[in-house]
Amino acid sequence: MKPLMLHGHERAITKIKYNREGDLLFSASKDKQPNVWYSLNGERLGTFNGHNGSVWCIDVNWDTTRFLSGSGDNTLRIWDCQTGKAISQLSTNSSVRACSFSYSGDLAVYATDKALGHQCEMFVIDIRSPEIILSQEDNICRTLISGSRISSLLWGALDETVITGHENGDINIWDSRTGKKLNDAQGHKGQINDMQFNKDGTMFVTASKDHTAKLFDSDSLMSLKTYKTERPVNSATISPNYDHVVVGGGQDAMDVTTTSTKQGKFDARFFHLVFEEEFARLKGHFGPINSLAFHPNGRTLCTGGEDGYIRINAFDQSYFDFHFEY
Amino acid sequence: MPANYEITKSWADEVEDEGSITLPPPTVVYENDFKIMTEYKLNDDNKKVKVVRTYKIERRTVSKTIAVRKNWSKYGDSLDDGPGPNPATTVIAEDVFMQFLSSKEEENKVEEDSLDKLKSMGDKGVVKCRNCNGEHWTSKCPFKDTVLGGLPDDKKLSINPTAGVPGMGDMNKPQGSKYIPPSMRDGGNKRGDSMLMQRRDDTTAIRISNLSENTTDTDLEELVKKFGAIHKFYLAKEKNTNVCKGFAYVHYKTKEDAARAINGLHGHGYDYLILSVDWSKPPAQNN
Repeated sequence: MKPLMLHGHERAITKIKYNREGDLLFSASKDKQPNVWYSLNGERLGTFNGHNGSVWCIDVNWDTTRFLSGSGDNTLRIWDCQTGKAISQLSTNSSVRACSFSYSGDLAVYATDKALGHQCEMFVIDIRSPEIILSQEDNICRTLISGSRISSLLWGALDETVITGHENGDINIWDSRTGKKLNDAQGHKGQINDMQFNKDGTMFVTASKDHTAKLFDSDSLMSLKTYKTERPVNSATISPNYDHVVVGGGQDAMDVTTTSTKQGKFDARFFHLVFEEEFARLKGHFGPINSLAFHPNGRTLCTGGEDGYIRINAFDQSYFDFHFEY
Repeated sequence: MPANYEITKSWADEVEDEGSITLPPPTVVYENDFKIMTEYKLNDDNKKVKVVRTYKIERRTVSKTIAVRKNWSKYGDSLDDGPGPNPATTVIAEDVFMQFLSSKEEENKVEEDSLDKLKSMGDKGVVKCRNCNGEHWTSKCPFKDTVLGGLPDDKKLSINPTAGVPGMGDMNKPQGSKYIPPSMRDGGNKRGDSMLMQRRDDTTAIRISNLSENTTDTDLEELVKKFGAIHKFYLAKEKNTNVCKGFAYVHYKTKEDAARAINGLHGHGYDYLILSVDWSKPPAQNN
């Protein structure tokens, strides 16, 4: 395959996300501008200019009208996807680490960092008709997270719950209306860097600093499978049409200079969902992979790396011909 | 009219006003489903370089919402980009292939199996002293210099005549001090199998020689992969300079593919040289 290499960012990619149909690809990096691309030919549709710090988290709603971004400049912004103009801006006490639209697109949730003397907090906000300027007080539900901060989050089924992954490896489920903790699990021994659902949302895969990716039941938080690697895992994703899990990672950014690309530590690694066995690798990046996303049709895998590049890998026939022997 | 522009200007004129080279304007030509962009620029040596980019235009049927989004006008930093990918932000990367690991792992397993067997055999005492039948090497025997050392010699004398007569019968029941050929030893079977496997592997291998020294791994792969699935290939290279030594070995998955590759490539001209392709012959199989 000849991947498309997108070079719209000056610094490390933090997050990439397809919209629901998969025709657009959104990307955020440690530079200040999230980008949006046509996934088919890699053409850049535009950039969302306005943030003054690293953009840590992004999301797009299901009908691709609005785009959400949370940044290290202590703001959460809502953008119009068509024009790239900001619809509203919400100021927070510390940087926004994780954010997500609910499935309906009426609500959004975001989590702030534990920093500058402030605790980690999680806010659920109504964004049906947001004001231009919002503050932390404009919320439906505000939850103080004592202990370890939130590093990743997902909306649960029917927008009733929020699943959070924490810096110490814990996973919690919260009621999105009352902010009460419904369920918890000690999922990992290290920070959870990423959580992604499977196609129907019954399971999700977590990527953790403790060198593993794990598959959890979205309701009971039971750990179903473990995919072991020998390096910190930054992102993991589940194929929408095969029993495949792709895991990406590498060293911490500070150790990267001591590693050669030839060692294969920066490959995307394909595991079988059920048998937990690695069956393929895909090279490409010159640094750790920070974010992974499958196209909703499962025929393309997109990777964003610490090297600042996004690679769109449209699979060869050999991938579809491959059958895991068991 | 870019064509006229080129004719009116002779090369001599260009040499004269070398100080200020005027570059022809970039052109975009649409030619049945291909978009050809031609651009001129100066390279590091101040020489004029023509850059031609060819894009294939594809038509796809998509849902309405996607079609609407496809017609959105660009914004932000891409505001000034024309239609189609901007080469500054979108690059087509080098070819990469997925590496499937399953076959490799199986090979490793076989090796581990035989190793395990050897290890477990070690526990039961493969090592046997010829002097005292203890579980140590003969050279390390504590009774080497004592009377015990002489005993087996007597034994040997008594065994030898009996062994000489039946011959074949004795081979089946290997006894203490008798020399057993490696192929007859316990666990030797396993070894033999794996050796056989290797020989069978070689039957799908071909040797390509008279390759030019510019050949690279990717070139070779391009050349050989169209004949069938490749198990592995090896391109001989000079250790220091990394320049091709002129020959390569390719293992196909099936013998048919290998045969087709030989038919297809032997005598075939490749990069100014004519290839010579034949079955690979392991050096030991000369007789």
